[in-house]
Amino acid sequence: MNRGAAILAIARNTFREAARNKILYSLLFFAVLLILSAVAVGELSLNEEVRMTRDIGLFGVDLFSVLIAVFVGVNLLYKELDLKTVYTILPKPIARWQFVLGKWLGMLTTLGIQIVVMGVVLALTLLAQGGRPDAALTKSLWLLFVNVTIVTSVALLFSSFSSPFLSGFFALGVFVVGRSVPDLRQLAARAGGGASGAVDVVAAVLPNLHLFFPSGAVIGADDAALPGQLLGPGYMAWTTLYGFGYSVLVLGLSMIIFARRDFV
Amino acid sequence: MMAVAMTSAGPSADVVLRADGLGKTFRLGFFRKRVEAVRDVSFEVQRGEIFGFLGPNGAGKTTTLKMLMGLIFPTRGRAEVLGLPVPSLSAKRRLGYLPETPYFYDYLTPEEFLDFAGALCGVPAATRRSRADALIARVGLDHARGRPLRKFSKGMLQRIGIAQALMGDPELVVLDEPMTGLDPIGRKEVRDLIMDLRKDGKTVFFSTHILPDVEMICDRAAIVVAGTLRDVGPLGRLLSARVLSTEVVLRAPAPPALAPPPGTRQHASSDGLRLDIPEGADVDAFLRAALAAGAALVSVSPRRESLEDLFVREATQATAPPRGHS
Repeated sequence: MNRGAAILAIARNTFREAARNKILYSLLFFAVLLILSAVAVGELSLNEEVRMTRDIGLFGVDLFSVLIAVFVGVNLLYKELDLKTVYTILPKPIARWQFVLGKWLGMLTTLGIQIVVMGVVLALTLLAQGGRPDAALTKSLWLLFVNVTIVTSVALLFSSFSSPFLSGFFALGVFVVGRSVPDLRQLAARAGGGASGAVDVVAAVLPNLHLFFPSGAVIGADDAALPGQLLGPGYMAWTTLYGFGYSVLVLGLSMIIFARRDFV
Repeated sequence: MMAVAMTSAGPSADVVLRADGLGKTFRLGFFRKRVEAVRDVSFEVQRGEIFGFLGPNGAGKTTTLKMLMGLIFPTRGRAEVLGLPVPSLSAKRRLGYLPETPYFYDYLTPEEFLDFAGALCGVPAATRRSRADALIARVGLDHARGRPLRKFSKGMLQRIGIAQALMGDPELVVLDEPMTGLDPIGRKEVRDLIMDLRKDGKTVFFSTHILPDVEMICDRAAIVVAGTLRDVGPLGRLLSARVLSTEVVLRAPAPPALAPPPGTRQHASSDGLRLDIPEGADVDAFLRAALAAGAALVSVSPRRESLEDLFVREATQATAPPRGHS
Protein backbone atom coordinates (compact mmCIF):
# COMPACT_ATOMS: atom_id res chain seq x y z
CA MET A 1 0.00 0.00 0.00
CA ASN A 2 1.06 3.54 -0.64
CA ARG A 3 2.20 4.81 2.75
CA GLY A 4 2.10 8.41 1.61
CA ALA A 5 -1.62 8.15 0.87
CA ALA A 6 -2.42 7.16 4.46
CA ILE A 7 -0.29 10.01 5.85
CA LEU A 8 -2.01 12.47 3.51
CA ALA A 9 -5.43 11.12 4.53
CA ILE A 10 -4.60 11.80 8.18
CA ALA A 11 -3.17 15.23 7.35
CA ARG A 12 -6.28 16.11 5.37
CA ASN A 13 -8.54 14.98 8.18
CA THR A 14 -6.53 17.00 10.72
CA PHE A 15 -6.82 20.06 8.52
CA ARG A 16 -10.54 19.44 8.03
CA GLU A 17 -11.00 19.24 11.80
CA ALA A 18 -9.24 22.59 12.25
CA ALA A 19 -11.18 24.13 9.37
CA ARG A 20 -14.43 23.17 11.14
CA ASN A 21 -13.28 24.44 14.54
CA LYS A 22 -14.95 27.74 15.42
CA ILE A 23 -12.36 28.64 18.06
CA LEU A 24 -9.65 28.90 15.42
CA TYR A 25 -11.79 31.28 13.40
CA SER A 26 -12.27 33.53 16.42
CA LEU A 27 -8.50 33.55 17.05
CA LEU A 28 -7.97 34.45 13.41
CA PHE A 29 -10.57 37.19 13.73
CA PHE A 30 -8.74 38.72 16.68
CA ALA A 31 -5.44 38.51 14.81
CA VAL A 32 -6.94 40.43 11.89
CA LEU A 33 -8.41 42.92 14.36
CA LEU A 34 -4.96 43.47 15.92
CA ILE A 35 -3.39 44.04 12.50
CA LEU A 36 -6.07 46.56 11.60
CA SER A 37 -5.71 48.28 14.95
CA ALA A 38 -2.08 48.93 14.02
CA VAL A 39 -3.39 51.59 11.66
CA ALA A 40 -4.85 53.53 14.57
CA VAL A 41 -1.65 53.22 16.60
CA GLY A 42 0.36 54.27 13.55
CA GLU A 43 -1.60 57.51 13.39
CA LEU A 44 -0.05 58.48 16.72
CA SER A 45 3.43 58.30 15.29
CA LEU A 46 5.07 60.93 13.15
CA ASN A 47 5.58 59.82 9.54
CA GLU A 48 6.18 56.26 10.69
CA GLU A 49 2.66 54.94 10.07
CA VAL A 50 3.71 52.24 7.62
CA ARG A 51 6.52 51.00 9.82
CA MET A 52 4.24 50.91 12.86
CA THR A 53 1.63 48.92 10.96
CA ARG A 54 4.28 46.54 9.73
CA ASP A 55 5.82 45.98 13.17
CA ILE A 56 2.55 45.65 15.05
CA GLY A 57 1.14 43.51 12.23
CA LEU A 58 4.07 41.08 12.34
CA PHE A 59 3.80 41.00 16.12
CA GLY A 60 0.10 40.06 15.71
CA VAL A 61 0.90 37.30 13.21
CA ASP A 62 3.62 36.01 15.56
CA LEU A 63 1.47 36.11 18.69
CA PHE A 64 -1.60 34.47 17.21
CA SER A 65 0.23 31.85 15.15
CA VAL A 66 2.12 30.76 18.28
CA LEU A 67 -1.07 30.76 20.38
CA ILE A 68 -2.85 28.64 17.76
CA ALA A 69 0.18 26.32 17.45
CA VAL A 70 0.22 25.73 21.22
CA PHE A 71 -3.54 25.51 21.59
CA VAL A 72 -4.01 23.04 18.74
CA GLY A 73 -0.62 21.33 19.08
CA VAL A 74 -1.16 20.18 22.67
CA ASN A 75 -4.57 18.80 21.77
CA LEU A 76 -3.46 17.14 18.57
CA LEU A 77 -2.72 13.71 20.05
CA TYR A 78 -4.44 14.16 23.41
CA LYS A 79 -7.82 14.69 21.79
CA GLU A 80 -7.44 11.52 19.75
CA LEU A 81 -6.77 9.59 22.95
CA ASP A 82 -9.36 11.36 25.06
CA LEU A 83 -12.12 10.95 22.48
CA LYS A 84 -10.88 7.42 21.74
CA THR A 85 -10.81 8.05 18.00
CA VAL A 86 -7.31 6.58 18.02
CA TYR A 87 -8.84 3.15 18.72
CA THR A 88 -10.54 3.27 15.34
CA ILE A 89 -7.57 4.62 13.41
CA LEU A 90 -4.54 2.70 14.68
CA PRO A 91 -5.96 -0.80 13.98
CA LYS A 92 -6.11 0.28 10.33
CA PRO A 93 -3.06 -0.70 8.27
CA ILE A 94 -0.98 2.33 9.21
CA ALA A 95 2.08 2.61 11.42
CA ARG A 96 1.94 4.83 14.49
CA TRP A 97 4.67 7.13 13.18
CA GLN A 98 2.59 7.70 10.05
CA PHE A 99 -0.28 8.79 12.23
CA VAL A 100 1.90 11.30 14.13
CA LEU A 101 3.44 12.59 10.91
CA GLY A 102 0.01 12.99 9.29
CA LYS A 103 -1.29 14.93 12.30
CA TRP A 104 1.79 17.19 12.23
CA LEU A 105 1.51 17.87 8.51
CA GLY A 106 -2.19 18.64 8.82
CA MET A 107 -1.45 21.02 11.65
CA LEU A 108 1.29 22.81 9.69
CA THR A 109 -1.03 23.17 6.70
CA THR A 110 -3.57 24.81 8.98
CA LEU A 111 -0.97 27.17 10.44
CA GLY A 112 0.50 27.92 7.02
CA ILE A 113 -2.89 28.96 5.65
CA GLN A 114 -3.57 31.08 8.73
CA ILE A 115 -0.25 32.87 8.38
CA VAL A 116 -0.98 33.47 4.69
CA VAL A 117 -4.42 34.92 5.55
CA MET A 118 -2.93 37.18 8.25
CA GLY A 119 -0.08 38.13 5.89
CA VAL A 120 -2.49 39.10 3.12
CA VAL A 121 -4.49 41.28 5.54
CA LEU A 122 -1.26 42.93 6.68
CA ALA A 123 -0.08 43.49 3.08
CA LEU A 124 -3.42 45.00 2.10
CA THR A 125 -3.33 47.28 5.14
CA LEU A 126 0.17 48.45 4.19
CA LEU A 127 -0.97 49.10 0.65
CA ALA A 128 -3.93 51.10 1.91
CA GLN A 129 -1.52 53.25 3.90
CA GLY A 130 0.60 53.88 0.83
CA GLY A 131 3.30 51.46 1.88
CA ARG A 132 4.76 48.64 -0.17
CA PRO A 133 4.64 45.01 0.95
CA ASP A 134 8.15 43.95 -0.01
CA ALA A 135 10.23 40.76 -0.03
CA ALA A 136 11.27 41.44 3.55
CA LEU A 137 7.64 41.08 4.65
CA THR A 138 7.38 37.71 2.86
CA LYS A 139 10.65 36.60 4.41
CA SER A 140 9.48 37.64 7.88
CA LEU A 141 6.22 35.72 7.42
CA TRP A 142 8.18 32.67 6.25
CA LEU A 143 10.37 32.83 9.37
CA LEU A 144 7.25 33.04 11.52
CA PHE A 145 5.99 29.89 9.78
CA VAL A 146 9.27 28.06 10.50
CA ASN A 147 8.92 29.34 14.07
CA VAL A 148 5.50 27.70 14.50
CA THR A 149 6.72 24.39 13.07
CA ILE A 150 9.07 24.26 16.05
CA VAL A 151 6.39 25.38 18.51
CA THR A 152 3.95 22.80 17.11
CA SER A 153 6.54 20.02 17.35
CA VAL A 154 7.40 20.97 20.94
CA ALA A 155 3.70 21.10 21.89
CA LEU A 156 3.19 17.72 20.20
CA LEU A 157 6.14 16.24 22.08
CA PHE A 158 4.81 17.34 25.47
CA SER A 159 1.30 16.18 24.60
CA SER A 160 2.59 12.70 23.73
CA PHE A 161 3.10 12.03 27.45
CA SER A 162 1.37 14.82 29.35
CA SER A 163 -2.02 16.49 29.80
CA PRO A 164 -2.96 19.41 27.51
CA PHE A 165 -2.74 21.91 30.36
CA LEU A 166 0.77 20.91 31.36
CA SER A 167 1.81 20.53 27.73
CA GLY A 168 0.55 24.02 26.95
CA PHE A 169 2.33 25.40 29.98
CA PHE A 170 5.62 23.71 29.03
CA ALA A 171 5.32 24.59 25.35
CA LEU A 172 4.69 28.27 26.14
CA GLY A 173 7.59 28.14 28.60
CA VAL A 174 9.90 26.78 25.89
CA PHE A 175 8.66 29.49 23.54
CA VAL A 176 9.30 32.32 26.01
CA VAL A 177 12.76 31.05 27.00
CA GLY A 178 13.68 30.23 23.39
CA ARG A 179 12.71 33.73 22.29
CA SER A 180 14.66 35.31 25.13
CA VAL A 181 18.04 33.65 24.58
CA PRO A 182 19.86 36.95 23.67
CA ASP A 183 18.36 38.71 26.72
CA LEU A 184 19.33 35.78 28.92
CA ARG A 185 22.88 35.97 27.56
CA GLN A 186 23.09 39.66 28.43
CA LEU A 187 21.73 39.01 31.91
CA ALA A 188 24.14 36.13 32.42
CA ALA A 189 27.10 38.23 31.25
CA ARG A 190 26.21 40.86 33.85
CA ALA A 191 25.63 38.28 36.59
CA GLY A 192 28.95 36.53 35.93
CA GLY A 193 29.85 33.22 37.59
CA GLY A 194 28.45 30.09 35.95
CA ALA A 195 25.41 31.86 34.55
CA SER A 196 26.85 32.13 31.03
CA GLY A 197 27.53 28.39 30.96
CA ALA A 198 23.94 27.71 32.06
CA VAL A 199 22.56 29.92 29.28
CA ASP A 200 24.80 28.10 26.78
CA VAL A 201 23.22 24.80 27.84
CA VAL A 202 19.71 26.28 27.56
CA ALA A 203 20.53 27.70 24.12
CA ALA A 204 21.91 24.35 23.00
CA VAL A 205 18.88 22.33 24.15
CA LEU A 206 15.94 24.67 23.68
CA PRO A 207 15.08 26.09 20.26
CA ASN A 208 16.64 29.49 19.56
CA LEU A 209 13.35 31.05 18.59
CA HIS A 210 14.73 34.59 18.58
CA LEU A 211 16.22 33.76 15.19
CA PHE A 212 12.73 33.79 13.69
CA PHE A 213 11.66 37.21 14.92
CA PRO A 214 14.86 39.03 14.13
CA SER A 215 15.68 42.42 15.49
CA GLY A 216 18.88 44.32 14.83
CA ALA A 217 20.34 42.89 18.03
CA VAL A 218 19.87 39.33 16.80
CA ILE A 219 21.33 39.90 13.38
CA GLY A 220 24.26 41.85 14.77
CA ALA A 221 23.27 45.26 13.47
CA ASP A 222 22.22 48.20 15.55
CA ASP A 223 19.83 49.46 12.94
CA ALA A 224 16.72 47.62 14.08
CA ALA A 225 14.61 49.79 11.84
CA LEU A 226 15.59 47.82 8.77
CA PRO A 227 15.63 44.15 9.77
CA GLY A 228 14.15 43.14 6.45
CA GLN A 229 17.21 44.27 4.54
CA LEU A 230 19.37 42.14 6.75
CA LEU A 231 17.45 38.96 5.99
CA GLY A 232 19.93 37.80 3.38
CA PRO A 233 19.86 34.43 1.62
CA GLY A 234 22.45 33.00 4.00
CA TYR A 235 20.46 33.95 7.08
CA MET A 236 17.19 32.69 5.57
CA ALA A 237 18.71 29.35 4.51
CA TRP A 238 20.43 28.77 7.85
CA THR A 239 17.41 29.63 10.01
CA THR A 240 15.09 27.56 7.80
CA LEU A 241 17.42 24.58 8.01
CA TYR A 242 17.82 25.02 11.75
CA GLY A 243 14.06 25.37 12.26
CA PHE A 244 13.05 22.35 10.21
CA GLY A 245 15.95 20.30 11.57
CA TYR A 246 14.92 21.03 15.15
CA SER A 247 11.27 20.33 14.36
CA VAL A 248 12.01 16.98 12.74
CA LEU A 249 14.19 15.95 15.66
CA VAL A 250 11.48 16.78 18.20
CA LEU A 251 8.84 15.19 15.98
CA GLY A 252 10.96 12.03 15.85
CA LEU A 253 10.99 11.93 19.67
CA SER A 254 7.20 12.24 19.73
CA MET A 255 6.95 9.36 17.26
CA ILE A 256 9.16 7.16 19.41
CA ILE A 257 7.13 7.91 22.56
CA PHE A 258 3.84 7.41 20.71
CA ALA A 259 5.00 4.14 19.16
CA ARG A 260 5.80 2.64 22.57
CA ARG A 261 2.60 3.58 24.34
CA ASP A 262 -0.16 1.22 25.40
CA PHE A 263 -3.54 2.66 24.49
CA VAL A 264 -5.49 1.35 27.45
CA MET B 1 -2.87 -25.18 24.98
CA MET B 2 -3.21 -26.47 21.45
CA ALA B 3 -0.12 -27.43 19.56
CA VAL B 4 -0.99 -26.78 15.93
CA ALA B 5 1.67 -26.62 13.23
CA MET B 6 1.86 -23.07 11.84
CA THR B 7 2.09 -24.06 8.21
CA SER B 8 -0.11 -23.10 5.31
CA ALA B 9 -1.44 -26.65 5.08
CA GLY B 10 -3.16 -28.83 7.64
CA PRO B 11 -5.50 -27.81 10.39
CA SER B 12 -4.03 -24.30 10.78
CA ALA B 13 -4.85 -23.38 7.17
CA ASP B 14 -8.35 -22.40 8.27
CA VAL B 15 -7.30 -20.61 11.42
CA VAL B 16 -8.04 -16.92 10.93
CA LEU B 17 -7.11 -15.68 14.38
CA ARG B 18 -4.84 -17.33 16.89
CA ALA B 19 -3.92 -16.13 20.35
CA ASP B 20 -1.11 -18.03 21.98
CA GLY B 21 -0.51 -17.51 25.69
CA LEU B 22 -1.38 -13.81 25.58
CA GLY B 23 -0.85 -11.98 28.85
CA LYS B 24 -0.75 -8.38 29.99
CA THR B 25 0.51 -6.95 33.24
CA PHE B 26 -0.01 -3.24 33.80
CA ARG B 27 2.07 -1.15 36.16
CA LEU B 28 -0.22 1.28 37.90
CA GLY B 29 0.10 4.20 40.28
CA PHE B 30 3.01 5.87 41.92
CA PHE B 31 4.44 2.62 43.27
CA ARG B 32 4.10 0.92 39.87
CA LYS B 33 1.91 -1.78 41.36
CA ARG B 34 1.60 -4.81 39.10
CA VAL B 35 -1.92 -5.62 37.92
CA GLU B 36 -2.32 -8.73 35.82
CA ALA B 37 -5.20 -7.91 33.49
CA VAL B 38 -4.93 -10.92 31.18
CA ARG B 39 -3.24 -14.26 31.85
CA ASP B 40 -2.22 -16.90 29.35
CA VAL B 41 -5.13 -16.55 26.93
CA SER B 42 -5.02 -19.01 24.02
CA PHE B 43 -7.67 -19.74 21.42
CA GLU B 44 -8.18 -20.15 17.71
CA VAL B 45 -10.90 -18.76 15.49
CA GLN B 46 -11.69 -20.79 12.38
CA ARG B 47 -12.53 -19.35 8.98
CA GLY B 48 -16.18 -18.52 8.46
CA GLU B 49 -17.31 -18.86 12.06
CA ILE B 50 -18.90 -16.42 14.46
CA PHE B 51 -16.86 -16.58 17.60
CA GLY B 52 -18.07 -15.04 20.85
CA PHE B 53 -15.59 -13.75 23.39
CA LEU B 54 -17.58 -13.83 26.52
CA GLY B 55 -16.99 -12.47 29.98
CA PRO B 56 -18.32 -10.15 32.66
CA ASN B 57 -17.33 -6.49 32.74
CA GLY B 58 -13.68 -6.08 33.68
CA ALA B 59 -12.78 -9.66 32.72
CA GLY B 60 -10.06 -8.58 30.30
CA LYS B 61 -12.01 -8.84 27.03
CA THR B 62 -11.18 -5.36 25.76
CA THR B 63 -7.54 -5.66 26.86
CA THR B 64 -7.27 -8.92 24.90
CA LEU B 65 -8.89 -7.35 21.84
CA LYS B 66 -6.60 -4.33 22.07
CA MET B 67 -3.59 -6.66 22.16
CA LEU B 68 -4.91 -8.33 19.01
CA MET B 69 -5.31 -4.90 17.38
CA GLY B 70 -1.84 -3.68 18.32
CA LEU B 71 -3.19 -0.98 20.64
CA ILE B 72 -1.66 -2.63 23.70
CA PHE B 73 1.58 -4.57 23.67
CA PRO B 74 1.30 -7.99 25.32
CA THR B 75 3.63 -8.70 28.22
CA ARG B 76 3.68 -12.38 27.22
CA GLY B 77 2.55 -14.55 24.34
CA ARG B 78 1.76 -13.74 20.76
CA ALA B 79 -1.06 -13.61 18.26
CA GLU B 80 -1.52 -14.13 14.54
CA VAL B 81 -4.07 -13.10 11.95
CA LEU B 82 -4.07 -15.52 9.01
CA GLY B 83 -0.58 -16.60 9.97
CA LEU B 84 0.71 -13.01 10.07
CA PRO B 85 2.15 -11.69 13.32
CA VAL B 86 0.24 -9.14 15.38
CA PRO B 87 0.82 -6.24 15.35
CA SER B 88 1.94 -5.82 11.76
CA LEU B 89 0.65 -3.82 8.83
CA SER B 90 0.16 -7.02 6.83
CA ALA B 91 -2.05 -8.48 9.58
CA LYS B 92 -3.98 -5.22 9.97
CA ARG B 93 -4.71 -5.20 6.23
CA ARG B 94 -6.73 -8.40 6.66
CA LEU B 95 -8.96 -7.28 9.52
CA GLY B 96 -11.57 -4.68 10.38
CA TYR B 97 -12.20 -3.52 13.94
CA LEU B 98 -15.01 -1.82 15.77
CA PRO B 99 -13.83 -0.49 19.15
CA GLU B 100 -15.94 -0.53 22.29
CA THR B 101 -18.13 2.59 22.64
CA PRO B 102 -17.67 4.04 19.18
CA TYR B 103 -16.27 7.55 19.21
CA PHE B 104 -15.53 8.83 15.77
CA TYR B 105 -14.63 12.18 14.26
CA ASP B 106 -17.96 13.82 14.92
CA TYR B 107 -17.40 16.68 12.47
CA LEU B 108 -17.42 14.24 9.55
CA THR B 109 -20.43 12.97 7.63
CA PRO B 110 -20.77 9.19 7.14
CA GLU B 111 -19.51 9.53 3.57
CA GLU B 112 -16.45 11.51 4.63
CA PHE B 113 -15.72 9.16 7.52
CA LEU B 114 -15.94 6.03 5.38
CA ASP B 115 -13.81 7.67 2.69
CA PHE B 116 -11.19 8.45 5.34
CA ALA B 117 -11.33 4.88 6.71
CA GLY B 118 -10.99 3.52 3.18
CA ALA B 119 -8.00 5.76 2.44
CA LEU B 120 -6.27 4.44 5.58
CA CYS B 121 -6.93 0.89 4.35
CA GLY B 122 -5.33 1.72 1.00
CA VAL B 123 -8.57 1.44 -0.97
CA PRO B 124 -8.33 3.42 -4.26
CA ALA B 125 -10.47 6.58 -4.41
CA ALA B 126 -12.90 5.28 -7.03
CA THR B 127 -13.59 2.07 -5.10
CA ARG B 128 -13.92 4.02 -1.85
CA ARG B 129 -16.89 5.96 -3.16
CA SER B 130 -18.86 2.96 -4.36
CA ARG B 131 -17.98 0.85 -1.33
CA ALA B 132 -18.96 3.64 1.07
CA ASP B 133 -22.29 4.04 -0.74
CA ALA B 134 -22.98 0.31 -0.55
CA LEU B 135 -22.04 0.10 3.14
CA ILE B 136 -24.11 3.13 4.11
CA ALA B 137 -27.10 1.48 2.47
CA ARG B 138 -26.30 -1.87 4.04
CA VAL B 139 -26.22 -0.51 7.60
CA GLY B 140 -29.40 1.46 6.95
CA LEU B 141 -28.01 5.00 7.16
CA ASP B 142 -29.09 6.28 3.75
CA HIS B 143 -31.31 8.87 5.40
CA ALA B 144 -28.38 10.32 7.39
CA ARG B 145 -25.84 10.48 4.57
CA GLY B 146 -25.15 14.22 4.81
CA ARG B 147 -25.48 14.57 8.58
CA PRO B 148 -22.37 15.03 10.77
CA LEU B 149 -21.70 12.12 13.13
CA ARG B 150 -22.20 14.32 16.21
CA LYS B 151 -25.92 14.24 15.42
CA PHE B 152 -26.03 10.44 15.35
CA SER B 153 -27.74 8.30 17.99
CA LYS B 154 -25.75 5.55 19.68
CA GLY B 155 -27.30 2.88 17.48
CA MET B 156 -26.47 4.85 14.34
CA LEU B 157 -22.88 5.31 15.53
CA GLN B 158 -22.62 1.58 16.13
CA ARG B 159 -23.80 0.94 12.59
CA ILE B 160 -21.43 3.43 10.97
CA GLY B 161 -18.73 1.85 13.17
CA ILE B 162 -19.43 -1.54 11.65
CA ALA B 163 -19.41 0.04 8.18
CA GLN B 164 -15.97 1.60 8.75
CA ALA B 165 -14.65 -1.78 9.92
CA LEU B 166 -15.73 -3.22 6.56
CA MET B 167 -14.25 -0.47 4.35
CA GLY B 168 -11.05 -2.45 3.77
CA ASP B 169 -13.08 -5.55 2.81
CA PRO B 170 -11.42 -7.58 5.60
CA GLU B 171 -11.50 -11.34 6.01
CA LEU B 172 -11.74 -11.05 9.79
CA VAL B 173 -14.11 -8.63 11.50
CA VAL B 174 -13.44 -7.94 15.17
CA LEU B 175 -16.20 -6.21 17.12
CA ASP B 176 -15.80 -5.10 20.73
CA GLU B 177 -19.16 -5.17 22.53
CA PRO B 178 -21.17 -4.35 19.40
CA MET B 179 -24.55 -4.73 21.13
CA THR B 180 -23.86 -2.84 24.35
CA GLY B 181 -26.08 0.15 24.95
CA LEU B 182 -28.44 -0.66 22.10
CA ASP B 183 -32.18 -1.12 22.41
CA PRO B 184 -33.69 -4.52 21.45
CA ILE B 185 -34.29 -3.40 17.86
CA GLY B 186 -30.74 -2.07 17.55
CA ARG B 187 -29.35 -5.33 18.95
CA LYS B 188 -31.34 -7.37 16.50
CA GLU B 189 -30.09 -5.20 13.63
CA VAL B 190 -26.48 -5.72 14.70
CA ARG B 191 -27.09 -9.47 15.12
CA ASP B 192 -28.54 -9.64 11.62
CA LEU B 193 -25.54 -7.71 10.27
CA ILE B 194 -23.16 -10.18 11.89
CA MET B 195 -25.10 -13.12 10.42
CA ASP B 196 -24.93 -11.44 6.99
CA LEU B 197 -21.17 -11.06 7.34
CA ARG B 198 -20.83 -14.79 7.83
CA LYS B 199 -22.96 -15.34 4.74
CA ASP B 200 -20.44 -13.18 2.86
CA GLY B 201 -17.71 -15.58 3.96
CA LYS B 202 -16.23 -13.34 6.63
CA THR B 203 -15.08 -14.52 10.01
CA VAL B 204 -16.51 -12.59 12.95
CA PHE B 205 -14.93 -12.35 16.38
CA PHE B 206 -16.88 -10.32 18.88
CA SER B 207 -16.79 -9.70 22.60
CA THR B 208 -19.87 -9.34 24.70
CA HIS B 209 -21.32 -9.77 28.15
CA ILE B 210 -24.83 -10.11 26.78
CA LEU B 211 -25.49 -13.84 26.91
CA PRO B 212 -28.54 -14.19 24.63
CA ASP B 213 -26.50 -12.64 21.80
CA VAL B 214 -23.98 -15.43 22.05
CA GLU B 215 -26.63 -18.11 22.31
CA MET B 216 -28.40 -16.76 19.23
CA ILE B 217 -25.56 -16.30 16.77
CA CYS B 218 -22.27 -17.84 17.89
CA ASP B 219 -20.80 -21.07 16.59
CA ARG B 220 -18.17 -21.18 19.28
CA ALA B 221 -17.30 -19.09 22.28
CA ALA B 222 -14.50 -18.46 24.73
CA ILE B 223 -15.23 -17.52 28.30
CA VAL B 224 -12.86 -15.21 30.08
CA VAL B 225 -13.19 -14.43 33.76
CA ALA B 226 -10.83 -12.29 35.82
CA GLY B 227 -8.26 -12.20 33.02
CA THR B 228 -8.16 -15.97 32.64
CA LEU B 229 -9.64 -18.05 29.85
CA ARG B 230 -11.97 -20.51 31.51
CA ASP B 231 -13.14 -22.48 28.51
CA VAL B 232 -13.30 -22.49 24.72
CA GLY B 233 -15.53 -24.53 22.46
CA PRO B 234 -18.86 -24.99 20.72
CA LEU B 235 -21.73 -23.72 22.84
CA GLY B 236 -23.24 -27.22 23.05
CA ARG B 237 -20.07 -28.47 24.68
CA LEU B 238 -19.61 -25.52 26.99
CA LEU B 239 -23.11 -25.99 28.32
CA SER B 240 -23.42 -29.11 30.40
CA ALA B 241 -26.16 -31.57 29.42
CA ARG B 242 -26.89 -32.47 33.03
CA VAL B 243 -30.19 -31.53 34.61
CA LEU B 244 -29.65 -28.89 37.29
CA SER B 245 -33.15 -29.14 38.74
CA THR B 246 -36.65 -30.25 37.82
CA GLU B 247 -39.58 -27.89 37.97
CA VAL B 248 -42.89 -29.56 38.83
CA VAL B 249 -46.13 -27.58 38.77
CA LEU B 250 -49.18 -29.01 40.54
CA ARG B 251 -52.69 -27.59 40.31
CA ALA B 252 -53.74 -25.81 43.50
CA PRO B 253 -54.76 -26.74 46.05
CA ALA B 254 -52.11 -29.43 46.50
CA PRO B 255 -52.96 -32.44 48.71
CA PRO B 256 -51.93 -31.83 52.35
CA ALA B 257 -49.99 -35.11 52.58
CA LEU B 258 -47.49 -34.02 49.92
CA ALA B 259 -43.85 -34.71 50.95
CA PRO B 260 -41.40 -33.15 48.48
CA PRO B 261 -37.77 -34.36 48.44
CA PRO B 262 -35.36 -32.55 50.78
CA GLY B 263 -34.03 -29.26 49.41
CA THR B 264 -37.10 -28.60 47.26
CA ARG B 265 -38.13 -24.97 47.03
CA GLN B 266 -41.81 -24.32 46.59
CA HIS B 267 -43.98 -21.32 46.01
CA ALA B 268 -47.51 -20.65 44.91
CA SER B 269 -48.05 -19.11 41.51
CA SER B 270 -51.06 -18.24 39.40
CA ASP B 271 -51.08 -21.64 37.70
CA GLY B 272 -50.64 -23.66 40.90
CA LEU B 273 -47.91 -24.83 43.24
CA ARG B 274 -44.44 -24.59 41.76
CA LEU B 275 -41.79 -27.00 43.13
CA ASP B 276 -38.13 -26.74 42.23
CA ILE B 277 -36.67 -30.19 42.96
CA PRO B 278 -32.86 -30.23 43.22
CA GLU B 279 -30.52 -32.38 41.13
CA GLY B 280 -30.18 -35.97 42.41
CA ALA B 281 -33.60 -36.24 44.06
CA ASP B 282 -35.90 -39.09 43.01
CA VAL B 283 -38.38 -37.08 40.96
CA ASP B 284 -40.17 -40.22 39.67
CA ALA B 285 -40.93 -41.47 43.20
CA PHE B 286 -42.18 -38.03 44.24
CA LEU B 287 -44.47 -37.78 41.21
CA ARG B 288 -45.93 -41.24 41.85
CA ALA B 289 -46.60 -40.38 45.48
CA ALA B 290 -48.11 -37.01 44.56
CA LEU B 291 -50.45 -38.53 41.99
CA ALA B 292 -51.45 -41.27 44.42
CA ALA B 293 -52.30 -38.57 46.98
CA GLY B 294 -54.67 -36.99 44.47
CA ALA B 295 -52.50 -34.18 43.07
CA ALA B 296 -53.22 -32.84 39.57
CA LEU B 297 -50.07 -32.44 37.50
CA VAL B 298 -49.72 -29.31 35.34
CA SER B 299 -46.16 -29.65 34.04
CA VAL B 300 -42.78 -31.26 34.63
CA SER B 301 -39.75 -29.52 33.10
CA PRO B 302 -36.11 -30.42 33.60
CA ARG B 303 -33.90 -27.32 33.76
CA ARG B 304 -30.54 -27.74 32.02
CA GLU B 305 -27.60 -25.40 32.33
CA SER B 306 -28.04 -22.16 30.42
CA LEU B 307 -25.24 -19.90 29.29
CA GLU B 308 -26.11 -17.67 32.19
CA ASP B 309 -25.61 -20.53 34.66
CA LEU B 310 -22.32 -21.31 32.99
CA PHE B 311 -21.29 -17.68 33.28
CA VAL B 312 -22.13 -17.57 36.97
CA ARG B 313 -20.45 -20.95 37.56
CA GLU B 314 -17.26 -19.83 35.84
CA ALA B 315 -17.28 -16.46 37.56
CA THR B 316 -17.65 -18.04 40.99
CA GLN B 317 -14.86 -20.49 40.21
CA ALA B 318 -12.59 -17.65 39.11
CA THR B 319 -10.01 -18.52 41.71
CA ALA B 320 -9.93 -22.19 40.71
CA PRO B 321 -7.43 -23.35 38.03
CA PRO B 322 -8.79 -23.09 34.46
CA ARG B 323 -10.01 -26.09 32.49
CA GLY B 324 -8.16 -27.29 29.41
CA HIS B 325 -8.91 -25.54 26.13
CA SER B 326 -10.04 -27.02 22.87
